[in-house]
Amino acid sequence: MTDKSIKTQELIWTPFLMLLSREVRRFIKVLAQTIFIPAINSFIYLLIFGVSIGKNIKVLEGISYLEFLIPGLVMMGCMNNSFQNSSSSLLGMKFGREIIDIKAAPLTVQQIIWAMSLGGLFRGLVVGTVVFLSGEFFYYFHENAWLVPVYPFYFLLFCIIGGLAFTKLGIIVAFLAKTFDHVSAIGGFIILPLIYLGGVFFSLENLSPFWVKFSHVNPLLYFINGVRYGVLGVSDVPVNVALWVSLLGLLVFHLLAVWALKKGSYQPW
Amino acid sequence: MAVLKIENLIKDYGALRAVNKVSFEVHSGEVFGLLGPNGAGKTSIISTITTLEKPTEGTITINNLDVTRHERATKAVTGVVPQELVTHGYFNVEEILTFQSGYYGLRKNKEKIHSLMQQLELWSHRHKKIRHLSGGMKRRLMIAKALMHSPQLLLLDEPTAGVDVELRYSIWEQVRDLKKAGVAILFTTHYLEEAEKLCDRVAIIHEGKIQKQGETKELVRKLTSRHLTITLKNKVEYSHPALINQQDNTLEFRVPYSTKIGQFLSELNFRNDNILDMKIREGTLEEAFKYVLNRGEM
Ligand SMILES: Nc1ncnc2c1ncn2[C@@H]1O[C@H](COP(=O)(O)OP(=O)(O)OP(=O)(O)O)[C@@H](O)[C@H]1O
Ligand SMILES: [Mg+2]
Repeated sequence: MTDKSIKTQELIWTPFLMLLSREVRRFIKVLAQTIFIPAINSFIYLLIFGVSIGKNIKVLEGISYLEFLIPGLVMMGCMNNSFQNSSSSLLGMKFGREIIDIKAAPLTVQQIIWAMSLGGLFRGLVVGTVVFLSGEFFYYFHENAWLVPVYPFYFLLFCIIGGLAFTKLGIIVAFLAKTFDHVSAIGGFIILPLIYLGGVFFSLENLSPFWVKFSHVNPLLYFINGVRYGVLGVSDVPVNVALWVSLLGLLVFHLLAVWALKKGSYQPW
Repeated sequence: MAVLKIENLIKDYGALRAVNKVSFEVHSGEVFGLLGPNGAGKTSIISTITTLEKPTEGTITINNLDVTRHERATKAVTGVVPQELVTHGYFNVEEILTFQSGYYGLRKNKEKIHSLMQQLELWSHRHKKIRHLSGGMKRRLMIAKALMHSPQLLLLDEPTAGVDVELRYSIWEQVRDLKKAGVAILFTTHYLEEAEKLCDRVAIIHEGKIQKQGETKELVRKLTSRHLTITLKNKVEYSHPALINQQDNTLEFRVPYSTKIGQFLSELNFRNDNILDMKIREGTLEEAFKYVLNRGEM
């Protein structure tokens, strides 16, 4: 094989698709455990907040708390699982030294990031769908009707943007983390609070002015409200603003992921 | 033709200089041995070639392309067997080889995958998960991965560490075949006998610096001597600058490669009918290696 006989064309799609297929297959191998836990979680949230306590919570005008909660939970499941997938996959590769195969192969940083991201997004969307279906179950039980998204396009779009952004975050964390504990610490101390404060469970209208200001610098607010707009047709922030901020957030996370792959360590310590 | 060219490579880890101004070339159809004690810097050199680590200074080219600037083109022609065993949590042998093939742009490569599995005796293990393989099996898999895309340059970092005799022979066989096919091979090992058999040229590296490099045979000739052992019928008291050992009737001499044996014998001036037995042992790479590391007596 000489230098010229390597068709660059083949080095663009095949390696990328192979890594993507690896990611998807890895997820499918752990499908049961990854779907089961978020399904149970969202079921409990819906039961406690949506149905029991939710009766007394007022959110947006003309919207029941259950309706309000469902899109937030969908987005939370999607983002969390997107993050989990890329971070745990990469960390596993690092500790098994499989990452050396990836690094030594003719895969570019962009190919690696997009394959890992789309693989993670796939898991995020599968979990999001599961959460949405269990939400539908509760909704039907309660209202005797299905919850039909008002703007399905926005619903899906924001799920994709939010999921992708979180896969990139997972990549960043996996490259900078030294142990598995670091990853769960970042998940527990940074991401989860941001998700909760991003308005999964409450509307900005319920907050005091200080917390409203604080929430506005939380990028997750825009992801979550974008999805809420897609499902309910209303949200705390205008959809255009949500869209631009979300896209900007995605871009920032992507660039940080590029930086992490270029500067981060490929060694398992 | 030089496939791999390394010039003045320096690699620092913080304050530690692991590789210090190293230069060498590996040509097509040649096995180049990188020899040195633990921590000499062999793996660090290989890691900079595969861009796992960034060089602190110096240049590395493959087919005249800089590895840091032409990553895709240089990686596409390079295969590597890392020193440390690689494990994969979720996949089996065949899946891993399929991924590997795809990473190098090869689709629908079943034939090659199957033939490599057979060649490396992985066939009966093809449905086993990697973490259920023994160490030697993992090593076989790593070799199969490195050969998947028929590389022009093969980097073997201690491929024979911890493998059984049979696999060791089969690795030697493969290395020779690949060499015949024109592959440039960089080989590290702690088994100097193996290096002597396999490597056309070697570099002896110590504390990050190449101490000596050259054709294996040449280095052995330059840095070692032959040992001539003569057993006599009758004991004689004898002294000679080349005599290094005397036990009863047996005398051992060190004869430099520059001296002809015949001439040396006539200098010794033993009576022919007093010589019972005579043996010549050639110098070894191991002796050359020890000499370089210790600058010691041979
Ligand atoms: N990632 C790293 N960070 C810091 N120091 C390192 C790193 N990798 C290697 N070193 C140090 O660099 C030096 C050279 O190590 P290297 O692994 O290249 O040696 P080696 O010749 O391959 O040894 P061995 O025969 O044991 O495999 C050692 O002192 C080692 O401790
Ligand atoms: Mg080493």
